[in-house]
Amino acid sequence: MPPAEPCQAIDDKNLVVAVNRSAMDAGIQVGMRRREAEAVCPTVTTIEHDPGAEMARFERVAVVVETLIPRIEVVAPGLILAPVTGAVRYFGGEEPLLDRVAKEIDNVTGPGYRIGLAAGPFASRRAAEMATDGDPIFIVADDDAFRETLNVTALGSEDMAAVFRWLGISTLGELAALPREAVVSRFGPDGLRAHRLACGEDRDTHDRVIADDLSIEEKFDPPLENLEQVAFVARSIAHQLLAAPVLEGATPHRIEVEAEAADGAIRTRTWRSADPFNEQMLGERVRWQLQAWLDTARMRSGPGIRGGLVRLRIMPADLSDQGRQLALDEDALSAAEAQRAFAQTQAIVGNDDVLQAIPQGGRDPGEKALWYRWGETPPAPQRDPNAPWPGQIPAPMPALVPPDPYPLDVEWENGIPTRIRLGSRWVEVLSWAGPWRKVGRWWDGEHPADRYQLVTSAGAFLCAVIEGRTYMAGVYD
Amino acid sequence: MADAIRLEEFKGNVVAPVDLLSLQPGRVTGLIGHPGFGLTRLGLTMLASREQLGTVAYLDVRGWLSPPAAWEAGVSPERLVVVRCDDPVRWARVASHLLEGVSAVYAEIPTRIKPAQLHKLTALARNRKTPLVLRPLQGDLPNGMAHLRLEARRVIWEGTDRGHGRLQHRKLVFAASGKAMRGMTRLIEVEDDGTNAMRLVPGLAVASSGRATG
Repeated sequence: MPPAEPCQAIDDKNLVVAVNRSAMDAGIQVGMRRREAEAVCPTVTTIEHDPGAEMARFERVAVVVETLIPRIEVVAPGLILAPVTGAVRYFGGEEPLLDRVAKEIDNVTGPGYRIGLAAGPFASRRAAEMATDGDPIFIVADDDAFRETLNVTALGSEDMAAVFRWLGISTLGELAALPREAVVSRFGPDGLRAHRLACGEDRDTHDRVIADDLSIEEKFDPPLENLEQVAFVARSIAHQLLAAPVLEGATPHRIEVEAEAADGAIRTRTWRSADPFNEQMLGERVRWQLQAWLDTARMRSGPGIRGGLVRLRIMPADLSDQGRQLALDEDALSAAEAQRAFAQTQAIVGNDDVLQAIPQGGRDPGEKALWYRWGETPPAPQRDPNAPWPGQIPAPMPALVPPDPYPLDVEWENGIPTRIRLGSRWVEVLSWAGPWRKVGRWWDGEHPADRYQLVTSAGAFLCAVIEGRTYMAGVYD
Repeated sequence: MADAIRLEEFKGNVVAPVDLLSLQPGRVTGLIGHPGFGLTRLGLTMLASREQLGTVAYLDVRGWLSPPAAWEAGVSPERLVVVRCDDPVRWARVASHLLEGVSAVYAEIPTRIKPAQLHKLTALARNRKTPLVLRPLQGDLPNGMAHLRLEARRVIWEGTDRGHGRLQHRKLVFAASGKAMRGMTRLIEVEDDGTNAMRLVPGLAVASSGRATG
């Protein structure tokens, strides 16, 4: 983007996905709607977000960094992670290495780049954000101290950061000092992730390991040069890879894309993602990379793929199965989608309304389930489900149980129920069973209750008679 | 109305729809009727047919669902997630998110939901190939929305007497219509043993409703 005038990139949903410094100064933020951003800054120039084209331009940067540091990983067009342990030894220190990297990038792009050096992807990315145009290199000397002083906004969730601030927690150090169970209980999986990042439990970039061959390879004759063909191939190979039985339900966090050009040159690039790759994400990354290689070769701006693509190979790494046993028909992709769906649902209705339950003992249907919030570790049952529980209602259980029993109009004749009022009409009781006597916890102020199953032509109901009044305790729906 | 229904031995050449209780990808099933006619348990049995593929979701508007009934119907505790939402504004958003991620959704429909919102949901269900069971708490679904529409007609409980026994077994009669029934309305009977999944009674009682038979 031109640095002098405000400029923003929007995606296909009209949301701002990137802004330059001028636009940021004018008040535009990533995540705004286009109309909102244009209201804040009417002179802003808007361009459409095109990751493929961005990767084509960013490829030159990836190439020059790769000549200095092997096994770099591309997170997105514009962001590279690089394990520097070996390169630091080779260049004689962190500063000489980063000076050299900065010089090479400067030759390609000019000013505007940022480099951060810290332990782990999360901290190094935050370090890069702290670099400035005047001093584009930010080296973290003390990783723990750096992480502890980071603001909670570094977690990337403004909503969560706002709640943390409201609770008086403003830095990651203060967040890390909280018990993890308490954070997870309040914020669910997002809270767990935040606490892990605050504690420095970030995934490190790994050294290369020799693993079983899980790669998928395709050859093309004649060579592929058309971008539409490339997009189709990318999606197809992503599907093949994630559906491959050798993965056994696991999904990769990192993939290596290897392409062979018609002139025999072989290019490789590693992509990584914080979330396991699904088919769409993987297909997009492969397409962006191939588009970048083909475009750089076509424009002669770098060592891309000349003469078209004759072979494509995708190798997964950093496999993740989330430590969970998948069912025969279940796949990791659907599990990840379900996690995302419930997390989004929690954001709408709140953590207390997305629930799961485990069985436990009890005399009433409502007591037999122990609720807990989705995303939390299931608690231990408070009452033994295998104990006899005298006076419990026999199976089947009513499908609907009101949270608090409400008064129900029932006509009794000589202790026998005859009619029940449902809405505005009275319905005859055809048959009935009970009572099942429940002796209440008198020391807690609970009264004894007699429970009855009443059968009518409109269904069966579970009623409780407490101190002469009848209450609806369940519907056999 | 219920008293006018007669069940007769199946004599025609129409095959009894024995897979009606299994949810199909992208299909919408509508359950119409008052509480007490076994529709919740029927919906849970349908969810159980999909729980082996992943997590299933129950969108609970009243906050009344009792998980033990779901477990009796065959849904594993670790595969059932209950979402409580009675706000009609947020309800559609919640249902949309669930359809995009889980293997089946049972959604109670609160009052004041517009038909257009339901049409969007059913389109999303078809697009995502997620089975959707809709249970309006009041009224009916818009015409033609459900691939299979089951309207409760009768429930007959067995096992109880004048203070003796306990609820053991019930027979449910539904009027089934929609594309799944080839556009015709038929009566079907479902047996519920209480602690097992429900089952459709095969070869029985598929007399067209609204026509005196037997």
